[in-house]
Amino acid sequence: MRFITLALLCLVIACGDSTGKGGTDTPSAAPKKIFQFMRQEAYKSLDPVKQFDGASAELIQNVYDSLLEYDYLSRPYRMVPNLLTKMPELSADGLTYSFELRSDVRFVDDPCFPGGKGRPLVTDDVIYSLKRFAHGSLNVKSYTLWQGAVQGMNEFREQTQKGADMNKLDIAGIKKIDDHKFTITLSQQNPLALFPLAASQTAIVAREAVEKYGAEFEQHPVGTGPFKIKTLQRRGVTILEKNPTYHGTYPSEGEPSDEATGLLAARGKKLPFIDEIHLPLIEEPQPAMLKFLSGKMDWVAMDRDNFAKMGFKDEKGFHLRPEYVGKYEIYSAQMLTTEYWSFNQKDKLVGKNKALRQAIAYGLDIPTMLDKLENGRGVAIKSIVPPDIAGSERDTKADGYSHNIELAKQKLIEAGFPGGKGLPPITIEYRASTTRTRQQFEWNRAELAKAGITLLANFQTFSAYLQRIESGNFQVGISGWQADYPDAENFYALMYGPNKRPGPNEADWSNPEYDKLYEQSRFMPNGPERFALFARMNEILREEVPAIVTYTQIACGLRQNWVKNFKRNVMIDVPFKYFDMDPAAQAKGIQGAK
Amino acid sequence: MLAYAVRRVLYTIPVLLGVALLVFLLFNTVGEDPVRVALGRHATAQSIAELRAQWGLDKPVPLQFLDFLGQIVTFDYGVSFNSGEKLSKLFTQGAAVSLWLTVPPFVVGFVVNIAFGLLVAYYRGSFFDRFSTAILIMTMSISYLVYIIGFQYFLGYRLELFPVSGYEPGFEGLKYLLLPWLIILTVTAGEDVRMYRTMFLDETQADYVRTARAKGLSEPAVLVRHVLKNAMIPIVTYTMVAIPFLLMGAFLMERYFSLPGVGDLMISSINSGDFPVLKGLTMVLAIAYSAMVLLTDLIYAWVDPRVSLR
Repeated sequence: MRFITLALLCLVIACGDSTGKGGTDTPSAAPKKIFQFMRQEAYKSLDPVKQFDGASAELIQNVYDSLLEYDYLSRPYRMVPNLLTKMPELSADGLTYSFELRSDVRFVDDPCFPGGKGRPLVTDDVIYSLKRFAHGSLNVKSYTLWQGAVQGMNEFREQTQKGADMNKLDIAGIKKIDDHKFTITLSQQNPLALFPLAASQTAIVAREAVEKYGAEFEQHPVGTGPFKIKTLQRRGVTILEKNPTYHGTYPSEGEPSDEATGLLAARGKKLPFIDEIHLPLIEEPQPAMLKFLSGKMDWVAMDRDNFAKMGFKDEKGFHLRPEYVGKYEIYSAQMLTTEYWSFNQKDKLVGKNKALRQAIAYGLDIPTMLDKLENGRGVAIKSIVPPDIAGSERDTKADGYSHNIELAKQKLIEAGFPGGKGLPPITIEYRASTTRTRQQFEWNRAELAKAGITLLANFQTFSAYLQRIESGNFQVGISGWQADYPDAENFYALMYGPNKRPGPNEADWSNPEYDKLYEQSRFMPNGPERFALFARMNEILREEVPAIVTYTQIACGLRQNWVKNFKRNVMIDVPFKYFDMDPAAQAKGIQGAK
Repeated sequence: MLAYAVRRVLYTIPVLLGVALLVFLLFNTVGEDPVRVALGRHATAQSIAELRAQWGLDKPVPLQFLDFLGQIVTFDYGVSFNSGEKLSKLFTQGAAVSLWLTVPPFVVGFVVNIAFGLLVAYYRGSFFDRFSTAILIMTMSISYLVYIIGFQYFLGYRLELFPVSGYEPGFEGLKYLLLPWLIILTVTAGEDVRMYRTMFLDETQADYVRTARAKGLSEPAVLVRHVLKNAMIPIVTYTMVAIPFLLMGAFLMERYFSLPGVGDLMISSINSGDFPVLKGLTMVLAIAYSAMVLLTDLIYAWVDPRVSLR
């Protein structure tokens, strides 16, 4: 009875509170800007060098800073200084970069500092953080990002792996000049070596925090970022609060259209604008979307089902259905990803029969598949580089394969299997067993059957897929790649001979001309000369078909009308520091949602 | 009695050893490789070897099993591969949430469903009985997921009677549990009421009931004073073995309502191959289940001295 009374009491409280406050406090207090978002997965570690997952990186990007960052508004994506006064300067021999730190950067207040007051960032912090990155037992997940790039770093790693004290060792290529200046010397000329300095794994930490919190440091971040942790719950609600001493300002430049859309109205203003970011863990799309629709979430990604219900695509782009227009804003952004089929060159059937691979390439109908199965949330591509990266088909005019059953049949005759006669079934490996992968397989199976090609599928766990691919025990693998950095080299490397398995060249394909062109183009600046080399590489790929590039994903989502400065930047997953919101419009919007 | 208790406890040991072996083999041979999941594609052989060594997965399998047995004995399952947090902390935090989610509807459901079962048994054969049975079968036939999605949409979003999802520790967080409680009560009602009804009807055929009726007792008095009391033995057995599962929460409920309980922890650990969490949780559940069965048997032996092991 007592319990029932308590439950009834709770019900009354709940109903009284279920109207939802949204992001504002009571009317008498100054409205706090509270941005409501979500996390889809629990973070693994908040120590920059121990994490290698998206959920951790999203938090680290907001509480820590790396030396460089990606420009929020500019496209194509480019790096800009974050903790530095200017971009690093390269010496005449092309080996040594000089860095100068900003003098206005401070760590957030924390008991690890004397008097609990955060201190200014100095060169020693950078060196300490980079040593942690290179440490043999601290960083076992992401060292490959910078492996071998800096003089003496590999040797430092070997020593620390054997138990040497990192504080008594130096990395030969990293030299302190003074409290705000240092140099990094590379092992060889490599313009791509700066990219890891914009990654969350090289974020700068304070030695005092690492030493004070020890094993707990993973759960106790102390950074210089735009936010600090107010409440940290791995699987509950994590709350970030504004760092009042943050050094950053809103960008002054962007794309030409950014001025008209108001994205540059805040130029030069001190960041961040939002007081608090609330991040509950919501793993399923339905509750996330329902919270968004009731005005209790400010930004939500749209999965296929929700997109089908609320949006549509036409030749002009993505739109909301009429009943949602004016209530929410829809956005879309091409991801820097490539989906492709890898043909195992060691396989006696698909690896040795070029005409068969060409037949399969002609048999696939990717644009229709994207329309039917993905609601158009993908773009069919003809080059292995996603369209938004310099050196893609936009620059090379690469001409891939288009769906043509007649040509597929003709190629099948050339391959020695007229009408598919005598052709054994071809097995394709998937790295997940989801509705999506199964539907895609069924689509492709039906398409290729029209040409006389029988397809079988092997759906498996991610690690089982990796084992199968790396062991070479497969015919065709569904591969995918997401840009580590926005340069075409990162994608052309997928077919480079020396990158064979267990490297990213899963097809185990090698072509001397392609390899030579790749090496030539690797460190060249973007421009006609580099694009001409890429164009030839694309021709080789088209002729030899070690892989069929299929599509690039398009991310779609919704934001509330009161969210300002929103532009999807696929190199910054959650750019909270640039967001702003209008509390009055928010209050009105929440009322409207009811 | 003491000899029975000792023998019964000794019988539990090989059962738990068998469970440990099964759990170990299952999680080491089926499911994701945690190292590959953590490192992603194209990890170097060196980094794979380093992480395996750090997590103790490079040791021979028999040695890993011995380590696991040591963990069971000491109740120290180490740390999670995913977060580096101590399993004892993860489990305590998760169990608190899961128990909040499952115990209140379990207790309320126990009382309400027994009362309803008794009522239906009282009106056995009537239109009310048939109608109730049809409704209960219907509620049993609908998937748990449909209840969650439907209730969340209509009661949470459309009618705004409850928050759609969320969690807060402490009293403030109770508002987030009301809708999940309602769903659990609805889902369990069908099966429980029908089972209790059957148990009550079985008892009504007994000689002592005929005697009670012959004495001139009213039907409600027969049901409450005699039938209910005697039917409680199978009901308590059924209920006791369900108690350990309360610790595990309700997987779907926790996932859809963003409740950070043990059930959701289990699902995410399966997805990422977090062996220590999986092994720890499974063993804790197995031990709790065995303990509860043991306790039930001992209570039986205490109540009825004829019960013995042969």
